[in-house]
Amino acid sequence: MLIDDENLFHLVFEDACSILDMALSFEALDSSDEADALFKKWFPDDPNHERPECVFVDLNIIGSSYDGIEMIRKINYEYGDNCVIGIISSSEDEEEIERAKKVGAQFWIIKSDDIEPRLEEFMEDYDDYRVKKAPFKIYR
Amino acid sequence: MIEITEHTRNVLLEVAKKKKIYVEGNFLKLLKAPKGDKEFEEYLKLCKEKDVSTRKKRLEVTKQVQSQNKDLVAKQEENDCLMAELQVALEEAKNATWEAEKLKEEAEKGQEQALEDLELMQKRSQFELIGMIVRIALIVICGVGVITTIMYAIALTSGHDTQIIGSTWSNMFGILLTNAFSIVGTIMGVKYASEKDS
Repeated sequence: MLIDDENLFHLVFEDACSILDMALSFEALDSSDEADALFKKWFPDDPNHERPECVFVDLNIIGSSYDGIEMIRKINYEYGDNCVIGIISSSEDEEEIERAKKVGAQFWIIKSDDIEPRLEEFMEDYDDYRVKKAPFKIYR
Repeated sequence: MIEITEHTRNVLLEVAKKKKIYVEGNFLKLLKAPKGDKEFEEYLKLCKEKDVSTRKKRLEVTKQVQSQNKDLVAKQEENDCLMAELQVALEEAKNATWEAEKLKEEAEKGQEQALEDLELMQKRSQFELIGMIVRIALIVICGVGVITTIMYAIALTSGHDTQIIGSTWSNMFGILLTNAFSIVGTIMGVKYASEKDS
């Protein structure tokens, strides 16, 4: 799942994931409120509902009630914490990275025109993320 | 994974051959060729190649649009910035014009004040001159009056002929009084006129 306010990036990300054979299904949401509503529905009301294996959240989601870091905090602390989750953003702000780490983000992917090599690298570490073994990593 | 039936397999291959229509998207990843079916394996491989190629093309175009979008947004921000600066400059120009007008008004007021002061000074010096003339005239009048009166009084007390000095005194006194009133009248007139002007 991708939560990002930039619709064009949804297409870029979906195509990149497909080319790299990263995922069978992909869902893109353009606001954290929309994602919040979905997660609320899945947890605690329907904990057995199939939920995304991995969630990529943009740092600044324009037009949403809260930013990506708050979204991660909610998913990790309020909605069950059982998916690989991290930030995908063009920002490299150290303070924000620290904030993201504190709320349980597992990775930080720097968004740029050439996203595929970073996603490939991320895929290599993915299994460790699933079992919560991999340390926090920034993909530059 | 989905195993394809014989009929579906044949239809898919025929559609691909005749109409060049291939399966695409993530659904393709779920399809599996029956064991040993080389033709269908080749077909799935071709489908995947076509799908990847289409996605790559779309990705390139999307990236270009994204980049152009970013440039446009940056230019828009730059424009907004320039517009804001222009607005500030316009405000400053307006303020400067207003200040200039204010200064002009003040200068005009100053000029008027200076002209009034100048007029007042001229009037004051005129008054001072008139005052001096009047003072001298009054001294002369009073002096002549006193001298003539003394001479007349001496002539009267000493028993001298007073005919000439008497008529002189009388004439002199008449003339002096007439002149004195004329001077006083002139002064009053000038004073009245100057008070009216101011």
